[in-house]
Amino acid sequence: MNETDRSFNSATYALSHIRHDLFRSITTVVTISLTIAFILLTTSLLFGLVNEISETDEKASILDGMIPGSVSMFEEFRIDGSQLSKESKASLVNYLLVTSVLVIMVAFFIMFNTMSISVQERRGEIGVLRSVGFSSREVMKIFLTEGGVIGMISFLSALFLGTPFIVNLAAYLIERGDGGIFFVQPMIPLQLVAIIGALTMLLTVFTTYLAAKKTLRVRPVEMLRPTR
Amino acid sequence: MPDRPFIETIDVVKTYKVGSSMVTALDHFSIGIEEGEMVAIMGPSGSGKTSLLNMIGGLDRPDSGAVRVKEVEINRLGEEQRARFRKNNIGFIFQFFNLIPSLTAIENVLVPVMFERETPVKRAGELLERVGLGDRFDHLPGMLSGGERQRVAIARALINDPMLILADEPTGNIDSETAREIVSLFRELNDEGKTLILATHDRIVAGRAKVMIKIRDGRMVRGKAHSRDGMRSLSPDKGGGVPE
Repeated sequence: MNETDRSFNSATYALSHIRHDLFRSITTVVTISLTIAFILLTTSLLFGLVNEISETDEKASILDGMIPGSVSMFEEFRIDGSQLSKESKASLVNYLLVTSVLVIMVAFFIMFNTMSISVQERRGEIGVLRSVGFSSREVMKIFLTEGGVIGMISFLSALFLGTPFIVNLAAYLIERGDGGIFFVQPMIPLQLVAIIGALTMLLTVFTTYLAAKKTLRVRPVEMLRPTR
Repeated sequence: MPDRPFIETIDVVKTYKVGSSMVTALDHFSIGIEEGEMVAIMGPSGSGKTSLLNMIGGLDRPDSGAVRVKEVEINRLGEEQRARFRKNNIGFIFQFFNLIPSLTAIENVLVPVMFERETPVKRAGELLERVGLGDRFDHLPGMLSGGERQRVAIARALINDPMLILADEPTGNIDSETAREIVSLFRELNDEGKTLILATHDRIVAGRAKVMIKIRDGRMVRGKAHSRDGMRSLSPDKGGGVPE
Protein backbone atom coordinates (compact mmCIF):
# COMPACT_ATOMS: atom_id res chain seq x y z
CA MET A 1 0.00 0.00 0.00
CA ASN A 2 1.28 3.41 -0.87
CA GLU A 3 2.08 5.17 2.35
CA THR A 4 0.75 8.49 1.11
CA ASP A 5 -2.69 6.89 0.71
CA ARG A 6 -2.99 6.28 4.43
CA SER A 7 -5.16 8.34 6.63
CA PHE A 8 -5.17 8.08 10.38
CA ASN A 9 -7.63 9.84 12.63
CA SER A 10 -9.90 9.15 15.59
CA ALA A 11 -12.35 7.20 13.41
CA THR A 12 -9.56 4.91 12.15
CA TYR A 13 -8.42 4.51 15.72
CA ALA A 14 -11.92 3.63 16.96
CA LEU A 15 -12.59 1.15 14.14
CA SER A 16 -9.19 -0.51 14.65
CA HIS A 17 -9.99 -1.03 18.30
CA ILE A 18 -13.48 -2.36 17.63
CA ARG A 19 -12.07 -4.81 15.09
CA HIS A 20 -9.12 -5.82 17.24
CA ASP A 21 -11.12 -6.49 20.38
CA LEU A 22 -13.95 -8.08 18.45
CA PHE A 23 -15.35 -10.29 21.20
CA ARG A 24 -15.56 -7.35 23.60
CA SER A 25 -17.07 -5.16 20.91
CA ILE A 26 -19.71 -7.78 20.08
CA THR A 27 -20.72 -8.25 23.72
CA THR A 28 -20.95 -4.49 24.12
CA VAL A 29 -23.05 -4.16 20.96
CA VAL A 30 -25.33 -7.06 22.00
CA THR A 31 -25.83 -5.59 25.49
CA ILE A 32 -26.68 -2.16 24.13
CA SER A 33 -28.81 -3.60 21.33
CA LEU A 34 -30.90 -5.55 23.82
CA THR A 35 -31.53 -2.48 25.94
CA ILE A 36 -32.45 -0.52 22.81
CA ALA A 37 -34.74 -3.34 21.69
CA PHE A 38 -36.56 -3.11 25.02
CA ILE A 39 -36.96 0.63 24.62
CA LEU A 40 -38.23 0.03 21.11
CA LEU A 41 -40.66 -2.59 22.42
CA THR A 42 -42.32 -0.45 25.06
CA THR A 43 -42.36 2.71 22.97
CA SER A 44 -43.70 0.95 19.90
CA LEU A 45 -46.59 -0.38 21.98
CA LEU A 46 -47.12 3.10 23.32
CA PHE A 47 -47.19 4.49 19.79
CA GLY A 48 -49.54 1.78 18.67
CA LEU A 49 -51.96 2.54 21.47
CA VAL A 50 -51.85 6.28 21.18
CA ASN A 51 -52.36 6.16 17.43
CA GLU A 52 -55.96 5.03 17.86
CA ILE A 53 -56.41 1.36 18.26
CA SER A 54 -59.56 1.34 16.20
CA GLU A 55 -57.49 1.90 13.09
CA THR A 56 -55.43 -1.19 13.78
CA ASP A 57 -56.63 -3.01 10.69
CA GLU A 58 -55.54 -0.31 8.30
CA LYS A 59 -52.19 0.17 9.99
CA ALA A 60 -51.63 -3.51 10.40
CA SER A 61 -52.09 -4.10 6.69
CA ILE A 62 -49.45 -1.47 5.94
CA LEU A 63 -47.16 -3.11 8.48
CA ASP A 64 -47.94 -6.52 7.06
CA GLY A 65 -46.87 -5.22 3.68
CA MET A 66 -43.50 -4.29 5.12
CA ILE A 67 -42.99 -7.43 7.19
CA PRO A 68 -45.05 -10.27 5.75
CA GLY A 69 -46.84 -12.44 8.24
CA SER A 70 -46.35 -10.02 11.07
CA VAL A 71 -49.99 -9.45 11.80
CA SER A 72 -51.88 -12.39 10.38
CA MET A 73 -51.00 -14.68 13.27
CA PHE A 74 -52.95 -12.46 15.63
CA GLU A 75 -55.86 -11.95 13.24
CA GLU A 76 -58.32 -14.01 15.21
CA PHE A 77 -57.72 -12.03 18.40
CA ARG A 78 -58.22 -8.59 16.94
CA ILE A 79 -61.08 -6.62 18.34
CA ASP A 80 -62.04 -3.07 17.56
CA GLY A 81 -60.19 -0.84 20.00
CA SER A 82 -63.17 1.44 20.37
CA GLN A 83 -64.75 -1.25 22.51
CA LEU A 84 -62.21 -0.51 25.21
CA SER A 85 -63.31 2.06 27.77
CA LYS A 86 -61.61 5.46 27.89
CA GLU A 87 -60.32 4.73 31.40
CA SER A 88 -58.78 1.45 30.31
CA LYS A 89 -57.03 3.16 27.40
CA ALA A 90 -55.71 5.94 29.61
CA SER A 91 -54.41 3.56 32.22
CA LEU A 92 -52.79 1.46 29.52
CA VAL A 93 -51.07 4.52 28.06
CA ASN A 94 -49.85 5.52 31.53
CA TYR A 95 -48.63 2.02 32.19
CA LEU A 96 -46.64 1.92 28.96
CA LEU A 97 -45.32 5.43 29.53
CA VAL A 98 -43.97 4.53 32.96
CA THR A 99 -42.54 1.28 31.63
CA SER A 100 -40.81 3.16 28.80
CA VAL A 101 -39.24 5.64 31.19
CA LEU A 102 -38.09 2.82 33.48
CA VAL A 103 -36.64 0.90 30.56
CA ILE A 104 -34.75 4.01 29.40
CA MET A 105 -33.36 4.47 32.92
CA VAL A 106 -32.29 0.84 33.10
CA ALA A 107 -30.68 1.24 29.66
CA PHE A 108 -28.74 4.24 30.91
CA PHE A 109 -27.28 2.33 33.84
CA ILE A 110 -26.52 -0.77 31.79
CA MET A 111 -24.75 1.37 29.17
CA PHE A 112 -22.87 3.32 31.80
CA ASN A 113 -21.62 0.08 33.36
CA THR A 114 -20.70 -1.39 30.01
CA MET A 115 -18.83 1.74 28.92
CA SER A 116 -17.15 2.12 32.31
CA ILE A 117 -15.78 -1.40 32.13
CA SER A 118 -14.45 -0.95 28.60
CA VAL A 119 -12.86 2.42 29.42
CA GLN A 120 -11.45 1.05 32.68
CA GLU A 121 -9.87 -1.86 30.84
CA ARG A 122 -8.01 0.66 28.70
CA ARG A 123 -6.49 2.73 31.47
CA GLY A 124 -3.01 1.75 30.33
CA GLU A 125 -3.82 2.87 26.80
CA ILE A 126 -5.09 6.21 28.09
CA GLY A 127 -1.86 6.52 30.09
CA VAL A 128 0.15 5.97 26.91
CA LEU A 129 -1.88 8.57 25.01
CA ARG A 130 -1.38 11.04 27.84
CA SER A 131 2.35 10.29 27.96
CA VAL A 132 2.77 11.04 24.26
CA GLY A 133 1.11 14.38 24.85
CA PHE A 134 -2.63 13.92 24.27
CA SER A 135 -4.81 16.43 26.04
CA SER A 136 -7.82 15.09 27.97
CA ARG A 137 -9.93 16.51 25.20
CA GLU A 138 -8.11 14.51 22.54
CA VAL A 139 -8.38 11.29 24.56
CA MET A 140 -12.06 12.06 25.04
CA LYS A 141 -12.50 12.58 21.30
CA ILE A 142 -11.18 9.08 20.61
CA PHE A 143 -13.46 7.48 23.18
CA LEU A 144 -16.53 9.46 22.12
CA THR A 145 -15.94 8.51 18.49
CA GLU A 146 -15.75 4.90 19.54
CA GLY A 147 -18.84 5.21 21.76
CA GLY A 148 -20.68 6.79 18.84
CA VAL A 149 -19.72 4.00 16.44
CA ILE A 150 -20.74 1.34 18.99
CA GLY A 151 -24.02 3.21 19.58
CA MET A 152 -24.73 3.40 15.85
CA ILE A 153 -24.07 -0.31 15.26
CA SER A 154 -26.14 -1.22 18.33
CA PHE A 155 -29.04 0.94 17.19
CA LEU A 156 -29.05 -0.50 13.67
CA SER A 157 -28.87 -4.07 14.92
CA ALA A 158 -31.64 -3.45 17.46
CA LEU A 159 -33.77 -1.90 14.72
CA PHE A 160 -33.25 -4.48 12.00
CA LEU A 161 -32.97 -7.59 14.13
CA GLY A 162 -35.37 -6.52 16.86
CA THR A 163 -38.25 -5.08 14.80
CA PRO A 164 -39.52 -8.37 13.32
CA PHE A 165 -39.63 -9.89 16.80
CA ILE A 166 -41.36 -6.90 18.25
CA VAL A 167 -44.08 -6.64 15.64
CA ASN A 168 -44.62 -10.39 15.53
CA LEU A 169 -44.31 -11.45 19.10
CA ALA A 170 -44.83 -8.37 21.18
CA ALA A 171 -48.46 -7.87 20.38
CA TYR A 172 -50.04 -6.72 23.52
CA LEU A 173 -52.90 -8.87 24.63
CA ILE A 174 -55.14 -7.64 27.33
CA GLU A 175 -58.12 -9.35 28.76
CA ARG A 176 -61.19 -7.26 28.84
CA GLY A 177 -63.62 -7.38 31.66
CA ASP A 178 -66.08 -9.37 29.57
CA GLY A 179 -63.49 -12.00 28.69
CA GLY A 180 -62.66 -10.67 25.23
CA ILE A 181 -59.11 -9.95 24.16
CA PHE A 182 -57.92 -6.53 23.21
CA PHE A 183 -55.08 -6.29 20.73
CA VAL A 184 -52.50 -3.51 20.48
CA GLN A 185 -50.45 -3.54 17.34
CA PRO A 186 -46.96 -2.18 18.07
CA MET A 187 -46.07 0.62 15.69
CA ILE A 188 -42.61 1.64 14.64
CA PRO A 189 -43.11 4.78 12.56
CA LEU A 190 -40.16 6.73 11.19
CA GLN A 191 -40.45 9.39 13.87
CA LEU A 192 -40.04 6.72 16.57
CA VAL A 193 -37.01 5.32 14.73
CA ALA A 194 -35.55 8.85 14.67
CA ILE A 195 -36.28 9.40 18.37
CA ILE A 196 -34.79 6.05 19.44
CA GLY A 197 -31.79 6.60 17.17
CA ALA A 198 -31.10 10.00 18.70
CA LEU A 199 -31.69 8.59 22.19
CA THR A 200 -29.22 5.73 21.58
CA MET A 201 -26.54 8.11 20.34
CA LEU A 202 -27.16 10.44 23.25
CA LEU A 203 -27.03 7.62 25.81
CA THR A 204 -23.92 5.91 24.41
CA VAL A 205 -21.98 9.13 23.91
CA PHE A 206 -23.04 10.54 27.29
CA THR A 207 -22.27 7.33 29.22
CA THR A 208 -18.91 7.05 27.42
CA TYR A 209 -18.22 10.67 28.34
CA LEU A 210 -19.00 10.02 32.01
CA ALA A 211 -16.88 6.86 32.09
CA ALA A 212 -13.91 8.46 30.30
CA LYS A 213 -14.10 11.61 32.41
CA LYS A 214 -13.86 9.54 35.56
CA THR A 215 -10.79 7.69 34.27
CA LEU A 216 -9.13 10.85 32.96
CA ARG A 217 -9.03 12.22 36.49
CA VAL A 218 -6.37 9.62 37.31
CA ARG A 219 -2.81 10.91 36.89
CA PRO A 220 -1.06 9.53 33.78
CA VAL A 221 1.68 7.96 35.88
CA GLU A 222 -0.92 5.94 37.79
CA MET A 223 -2.52 4.75 34.57
CA LEU A 224 0.82 3.56 33.23
CA ARG A 225 1.48 1.31 36.20
CA PRO A 226 1.21 -2.27 34.96
CA THR A 227 -0.57 -3.66 38.02
CA ARG A 228 -2.88 -2.05 40.45
CA MET B 1 24.06 33.83 37.77
CA PRO B 2 25.54 30.91 35.88
CA ASP B 3 23.64 29.56 32.86
CA ARG B 4 20.96 27.18 33.88
CA PRO B 5 21.43 23.62 32.67
CA PHE B 6 19.06 22.26 30.05
CA ILE B 7 17.38 20.03 32.62
CA GLU B 8 17.55 20.47 36.34
CA THR B 9 15.85 19.09 39.37
CA ILE B 10 16.27 21.09 42.54
CA ASP B 11 15.76 19.46 45.90
CA VAL B 12 13.00 17.22 44.58
CA VAL B 13 11.12 15.14 47.09
CA LYS B 14 8.60 12.53 46.05
CA THR B 15 6.87 10.09 48.34
CA TYR B 16 4.31 7.44 47.52
CA LYS B 17 1.87 5.69 49.72
CA VAL B 18 2.30 1.94 49.56
CA GLY B 19 -0.33 0.25 51.66
CA SER B 20 -0.25 2.07 54.97
CA SER B 21 3.37 3.20 54.78
CA MET B 22 5.03 6.02 52.88
CA VAL B 23 7.94 5.28 50.56
CA THR B 24 10.37 8.01 49.60
CA ALA B 25 11.10 7.64 45.89
CA LEU B 26 13.21 10.82 45.58
CA ASP B 27 14.87 12.29 48.60
CA HIS B 28 15.96 15.92 48.09
CA PHE B 29 17.25 15.02 44.68
CA SER B 30 19.13 17.63 42.66
CA ILE B 31 20.69 17.12 39.29
CA GLY B 32 21.66 19.14 36.25
CA ILE B 33 21.84 17.73 32.74
CA GLU B 34 23.23 19.67 29.82
CA GLU B 35 21.74 19.76 26.36
CA GLY B 36 23.07 17.03 24.09
CA GLU B 37 24.12 14.73 26.90
CA MET B 38 23.39 11.05 27.02
CA VAL B 39 22.84 10.10 30.63
CA ALA B 40 22.35 6.66 32.12
CA ILE B 41 20.62 6.45 35.45
CA MET B 42 21.46 3.24 37.24
CA GLY B 43 20.14 1.81 40.44
CA PRO B 44 18.27 -1.15 41.86
CA SER B 45 14.52 -1.56 41.55
CA GLY B 46 12.71 0.98 43.66
CA SER B 47 15.71 3.29 43.80
CA GLY B 48 13.77 6.13 42.21
CA LYS B 49 14.93 5.90 38.57
CA THR B 50 11.47 5.78 37.10
CA SER B 51 10.22 8.48 39.45
CA LEU B 52 13.04 10.74 38.30
CA LEU B 53 12.19 10.16 34.63
CA ASN B 54 8.51 10.76 35.37
CA MET B 55 9.36 14.07 37.06
CA ILE B 56 11.56 15.23 34.17
CA GLY B 57 8.95 14.13 31.65
CA GLY B 58 6.17 15.86 33.54
CA LEU B 59 4.20 12.67 34.01
CA ASP B 60 4.31 13.23 37.73
CA ARG B 61 4.84 16.16 40.07
CA PRO B 62 7.23 16.42 43.00
CA ASP B 63 5.89 16.87 46.53
CA SER B 64 8.43 19.66 46.90
CA GLY B 65 11.33 21.06 44.93
CA ALA B 66 11.46 22.17 41.32
CA VAL B 67 11.90 20.52 37.94
CA ARG B 68 13.05 22.68 35.05
CA VAL B 69 13.31 21.56 31.47
CA LYS B 70 14.38 24.06 28.84
CA GLU B 71 13.85 26.83 31.36
CA VAL B 72 10.24 25.82 31.91
CA GLU B 73 9.41 24.99 35.48
CA ILE B 74 7.24 22.04 34.58
CA ASN B 75 6.18 21.24 38.13
CA ARG B 76 4.23 24.49 38.05
CA LEU B 77 2.34 23.56 34.90
CA GLY B 78 -1.10 21.98 35.06
CA GLU B 79 -1.81 18.48 33.76
CA GLU B 80 -2.93 19.71 30.34
CA GLN B 81 -0.02 22.12 29.91
CA ARG B 82 2.42 19.37 30.82
CA ALA B 83 0.78 17.11 28.21
CA ARG B 84 1.35 19.81 25.59
CA PHE B 85 4.91 20.27 26.79
CA ARG B 86 5.54 16.54 26.43
CA LYS B 87 4.02 16.51 22.98
CA ASN B 88 6.31 19.25 21.72
CA ASN B 89 9.51 18.45 23.58
CA ILE B 90 9.73 14.93 24.92
CA GLY B 91 9.77 11.41 23.51
CA PHE B 92 9.04 8.57 25.94
CA ILE B 93 10.27 5.00 25.58
CA PHE B 94 9.08 2.39 28.07
CA GLN B 95 10.24 -1.02 29.21
CA PHE B 96 7.01 -2.68 28.11
CA PHE B 97 6.92 -0.70 24.84
CA ASN B 98 3.42 0.58 25.55
CA LEU B 99 2.24 0.37 21.98
CA ILE B 100 -1.47 0.45 21.18
CA PRO B 101 -2.24 -3.22 20.42
CA SER B 102 -5.01 -2.52 17.92
CA LEU B 103 -2.94 -0.23 15.72
CA THR B 104 -0.38 -1.20 13.10
CA ALA B 105 3.28 -0.24 13.44
CA ILE B 106 2.92 2.88 11.31
CA GLU B 107 -0.32 3.92 13.04
CA ASN B 108 1.42 3.56 16.40
CA VAL B 109 4.14 5.87 15.17
CA LEU B 110 1.49 8.34 14.03
CA VAL B 111 -0.43 8.33 17.33
CA PRO B 112 1.25 11.43 18.83
CA VAL B 113 0.44 13.46 15.71
CA MET B 114 -2.97 12.07 14.82
CA PHE B 115 -4.71 15.35 15.60
CA GLU B 116 -2.37 17.43 13.46
CA ARG B 117 -3.93 19.06 10.45
CA GLU B 118 -1.79 16.96 8.15
CA THR B 119 -0.70 13.53 9.34
CA PRO B 120 3.02 13.16 8.57
CA VAL B 121 2.66 9.67 7.12
CA LYS B 122 5.80 10.03 5.03
CA ARG B 123 7.89 10.93 8.06
CA ALA B 124 6.46 8.00 10.06
CA GLY B 125 7.46 5.70 7.22
CA GLU B 126 10.95 7.15 7.12
CA LEU B 127 11.32 6.69 10.87
CA LEU B 128 10.24 3.06 10.64
CA GLU B 129 12.75 2.57 7.82
CA ARG B 130 15.37 4.17 9.96
CA VAL B 131 14.80 1.80 12.88
CA GLY B 132 14.94 -1.12 10.45
CA LEU B 133 11.23 -1.87 10.15
CA GLY B 134 10.68 -0.80 6.56
CA ASP B 135 8.87 -4.08 5.87
CA ARG B 136 6.68 -4.06 8.97
CA PHE B 137 4.46 -1.01 8.42
CA ASP B 138 1.20 -2.91 8.62
CA HIS B 139 2.10 -5.38 11.36
CA LEU B 140 0.23 -5.24 14.64
CA PRO B 141 2.40 -5.16 17.78
CA GLY B 142 1.29 -8.72 18.56
CA MET B 143 3.00 -9.87 15.36
CA LEU B 144 6.31 -8.21 16.21
CA SER B 145 9.18 -9.39 18.41
CA GLY B 146 10.13 -7.49 21.56
CA GLY B 147 13.00 -5.77 19.81
CA GLU B 148 10.80 -4.78 16.89
CA ARG B 149 8.16 -3.40 19.22
CA GLN B 150 10.74 -1.31 20.98
CA ARG B 151 11.88 0.04 17.61
CA VAL B 152 8.32 1.04 16.81
CA ALA B 153 8.22 2.77 20.20
CA ILE B 154 11.44 4.59 19.35
CA ALA B 155 10.04 5.71 16.00
CA ARG B 156 6.94 6.94 17.84
CA ALA B 157 9.10 8.85 20.31
CA LEU B 158 10.83 10.56 17.37
CA ILE B 159 7.79 11.54 15.31
CA ASN B 160 7.60 14.99 16.87
CA ASP B 161 11.35 15.48 16.62
CA PRO B 162 11.71 16.02 20.39
CA MET B 163 14.83 17.53 21.89
CA LEU B 164 14.70 15.16 24.84
CA ILE B 165 14.20 11.40 24.89
CA LEU B 166 13.43 9.60 28.13
CA ALA B 167 13.79 5.84 28.13
CA ASP B 168 12.77 3.75 31.11
CA GLU B 169 14.52 0.35 31.02
CA PRO B 170 14.39 0.38 27.22
CA THR B 171 16.27 -2.91 26.92
CA GLY B 172 14.67 -4.60 29.92
CA ASN B 173 12.51 -6.88 27.82
CA ILE B 174 14.65 -7.65 24.80
CA ASP B 175 17.60 -9.93 24.04
CA SER B 176 21.12 -8.63 24.42
CA GLU B 177 21.91 -8.51 20.69
CA THR B 178 18.85 -6.37 19.97
CA ALA B 179 19.61 -4.33 23.07
CA ARG B 180 23.02 -3.48 21.63
CA GLU B 181 21.45 -2.36 18.36
CA ILE B 182 18.96 -0.22 20.20
CA VAL B 183 21.66 1.41 22.28
CA SER B 184 23.62 2.11 19.09
CA LEU B 185 20.53 3.81 17.76
CA PHE B 186 20.38 5.91 20.93
CA ARG B 187 24.01 6.88 20.40
CA GLU B 188 23.21 7.90 16.85
CA LEU B 189 20.35 10.07 18.05
CA ASN B 190 22.59 11.57 20.68
CA ASP B 191 25.24 12.31 18.04
CA GLU B 192 22.53 14.18 16.14
CA GLY B 193 22.15 16.44 19.14
CA LYS B 194 19.27 14.89 21.05
CA THR B 195 19.47 14.70 24.80
CA LEU B 196 18.84 11.19 26.10
CA ILE B 197 18.20 10.00 29.61
CA LEU B 198 18.03 6.25 30.11
CA ALA B 199 17.06 4.48 33.29
CA THR B 200 18.61 1.04 33.19
CA HIS B 201 19.82 -1.97 35.11
CA ASP B 202 22.05 -3.01 32.27
CA ARG B 203 25.73 -2.15 32.70
CA ILE B 204 26.44 -2.52 28.98
CA VAL B 205 23.69 -0.07 28.14
CA ALA B 206 24.86 2.33 30.84
CA GLY B 207 28.44 1.96 29.60
CA ARG B 208 27.49 3.43 26.23
CA ALA B 209 26.15 6.58 27.85
CA LYS B 210 28.36 9.61 28.23
CA VAL B 211 27.34 10.30 31.79
CA MET B 212 26.37 7.79 34.42
CA ILE B 213 24.41 8.52 37.54
CA LYS B 214 23.78 5.96 40.23
CA ILE B 215 20.91 6.36 42.59
CA ARG B 216 19.79 4.43 45.61
CA ASP B 217 16.88 5.07 47.95
CA GLY B 218 16.05 8.23 46.08
CA ARG B 219 19.48 9.77 46.52
CA MET B 220 22.36 10.10 44.13
CA VAL B 221 25.27 7.93 45.16
CA ARG B 222 27.50 8.65 42.21
CA GLY B 223 27.49 11.07 39.33
CA LYS B 224 27.13 14.72 38.66
CA ALA B 225 25.00 16.52 41.15
CA HIS B 226 23.58 19.92 40.67
CA SER B 227 22.90 22.55 43.29
CA ARG B 228 21.71 26.10 43.22
CA ASP B 229 25.33 27.20 43.07
CA GLY B 230 26.02 25.32 39.86
CA MET B 231 27.57 21.99 38.93
CA ARG B 232 29.77 19.96 41.21
CA SER B 233 31.05 16.45 41.03
CA LEU B 234 30.04 13.94 43.66
CA SER B 235 32.83 11.56 42.90
CA PRO B 236 35.50 13.24 40.84
CA ASP B 237 37.37 10.09 39.92
CA LYS B 238 34.42 8.34 38.28
CA GLY B 239 31.56 10.75 38.34
CA GLY B 240 32.16 12.75 35.20
CA GLY B 241 30.97 9.98 32.99
CA VAL B 242 32.08 6.76 31.49
CA PRO B 243 34.39 7.18 28.53
CA GLU B 244 33.91 4.84 25.63
